[in-house]
Amino acid sequence: MSNLLEVEHLKKYFKTPNGMLHAVDDITFSIHEGMTLGVVGESGCGKSTLGRVILGLSDSTDGAICFQGENITRVSSKKRKELRANMQLIFQDPYSSLNPRMCVFDLIADPLRIYKLCRNKKILQDRVFDLMDTVGLARRLAFAYPHELDGGRRQRIGIARALSLKPKFIVCDEPVSALDVSIQAQILNLLQDLQEKRKLTYIFITHDLSVVRHISDDIMVMYLGTVVEKSEAEELFEHPVHPYTKGLLSAIPVPSLEPRPQRIILQGELTSPIEPKQCCRFANRCPYVENRCRSAQPPLEEVSPGHFVSCFRAKEFDQK
Amino acid sequence: MSDNLLEIKDLSIHFYTDDGDVAAVNGVDLTLSRGDTLGLVGETGAGKTTTALGILRLIASPPGEIVSGEILYEGEDLLRKTDKEMQKIRGGKISMIFQDPMTALNPVLRVDEQIAEVVRLHSKCSVQESLKCALEILEKVGIPSERGKDYPHQFSGGMKQRVVIAMALSCNPQLLLADEPTTALDVTIQAQVLDMMKGLKSEFGTSMILITHDLGVVAENCNKVAIMYAGQIVERGTVQDIFNNTSHPYTKGLFNSLPSHQGKSKRLKPIRGLMPDPANLPKGCSFHPRCPYADRLCFSEPAELKEISPGHFSRCHHADKGADLYFPDEEINEIAYSMGFPPSNPGNDILGKGKML
Repeated sequence: MSNLLEVEHLKKYFKTPNGMLHAVDDITFSIHEGMTLGVVGESGCGKSTLGRVILGLSDSTDGAICFQGENITRVSSKKRKELRANMQLIFQDPYSSLNPRMCVFDLIADPLRIYKLCRNKKILQDRVFDLMDTVGLARRLAFAYPHELDGGRRQRIGIARALSLKPKFIVCDEPVSALDVSIQAQILNLLQDLQEKRKLTYIFITHDLSVVRHISDDIMVMYLGTVVEKSEAEELFEHPVHPYTKGLLSAIPVPSLEPRPQRIILQGELTSPIEPKQCCRFANRCPYVENRCRSAQPPLEEVSPGHFVSCFRAKEFDQK
Repeated sequence: MSDNLLEIKDLSIHFYTDDGDVAAVNGVDLTLSRGDTLGLVGETGAGKTTTALGILRLIASPPGEIVSGEILYEGEDLLRKTDKEMQKIRGGKISMIFQDPMTALNPVLRVDEQIAEVVRLHSKCSVQESLKCALEILEKVGIPSERGKDYPHQFSGGMKQRVVIAMALSCNPQLLLADEPTTALDVTIQAQVLDMMKGLKSEFGTSMILITHDLGVVAENCNKVAIMYAGQIVERGTVQDIFNNTSHPYTKGLFNSLPSHQGKSKRLKPIRGLMPDPANLPKGCSFHPRCPYADRLCFSEPAELKEISPGHFSRCHHADKGADLYFPDEEINEIAYSMGFPPSNPGNDILGKGKML
């Protein structure tokens, strides 16, 4: 199995009037072909920015992105267009990501027209209807406009658009967070079916931990632009090591009446990502904070095979 | 007098729009005892918020109208109160926490002033006293009183929600209607806010209706639950009834739609189809187009709320069949297939939203 995507020391800073905003700060990871990497974190931790930088929707400040063994950090716009066919994005909000003046057929045909993939109208029509079948949209909806459809169906259009160019890799940016639970389950099943059939590789960005556990092979937990913990999905849920991950897992409301262990309620809120100090980003909220946490940034270290944690006291917590 | 603080009988709220009459709430019955926390659960458009607004008589009219029903608060019908009397009740005896803290506050007023305004409206006190009172309540929700002079934009989302909660609690209401108080917040902040609300609730002895779509939040905060679907209560009872003896197929479907919190499950079992258009509700049981157990009776006769065990009601023709009704999970898919519904791919037309496509 080979790595489809490799990201090394990726950084993305934004200039703001108050200083540099470190949205993504030194992130390194790789994804095997056909796997799903879940990226979890609270609002403002840089998870969406990470997805956009990987796809080249915004330029990185520093670092390297390799796709299929090829460095794609800086490429010409012609090359970028070629890459886009292989790397697609499913947007978070199915209400604002579709052009309200285009009907379903045109929305799905749009990428095919841009890439001139269909020689004539008949072929185009077949492709679009095929795609609609794949994502579970009734053909009679082809000439409906987005405002006539509910959130679940709109999200299916978004998925059909992303699939139209037969990509290998899709970044799903909170694809289900705007949907009701029963519809959310339908879309998650669809995404999993598609992955199986088409050998897709996903980066699945979400703040919903139960969703990420359900769909991911590996999980990366982000906090203020940095990775605090990264591991195989089950391992992360069974043996979380970083205090933030523990707090995050403990905060999920569980729909069951069985007694559960004492909750860890994290105090405080996310600090500002503008000009962060050289220290552990989580130090202000961490119940186990020590002096060294405030003077240097802990490196991401392997505590057990495939399980990486960025915390000075990781070894100590791991044994508990 | 009974110990029922609030009793809603057969409440119906309709909206008259250009596209026809929308029956947002259809004969809702609810009772709330003192000290209870009732979780009102349902998906978008189920009529949860409309019910809460109906209790406070905040339905905009036109287009909305409370068509029928009684809302008995401490034995008195709120629907017969004059507007003046209602103003005393809103914020004084019953108050509401709105869903979106970002838009619920006035951006051009300092937060202490916004809270003090409520206090002044409900008790005869001077500006100074009301401001002092506002700062005390801010401390209670965990905001240092120095920040009272700040404007809403200077607060984060979690802090704004605390301000909204402070405002709702400022006159010691007996009933709190919390409309998705934590949906807009991150999980760690949600845990903080819910924890705080629990503490305040026991401190003030407030009863609460907690509107949410998150069954996890319900399990941790409520003792009673009512599940709403298409403007009706489809199941209600204690949390134990709902979580451990789930009766209605819709409730069952909601639980199956949730990704498991323990271990990785292969596939989710969503409820097929979509919520019906409230302007065009199906005949018979409103859930029958999506129900895997629906039979002829369900297509023709609306289901009544039946008591299946003391205090546990379910609006299903087959509710009294109890456990026999339920097929093992693997069978559900097969049955659905045999009825012509592809369960894993349910966006298709068979179950469309009536004329809504």
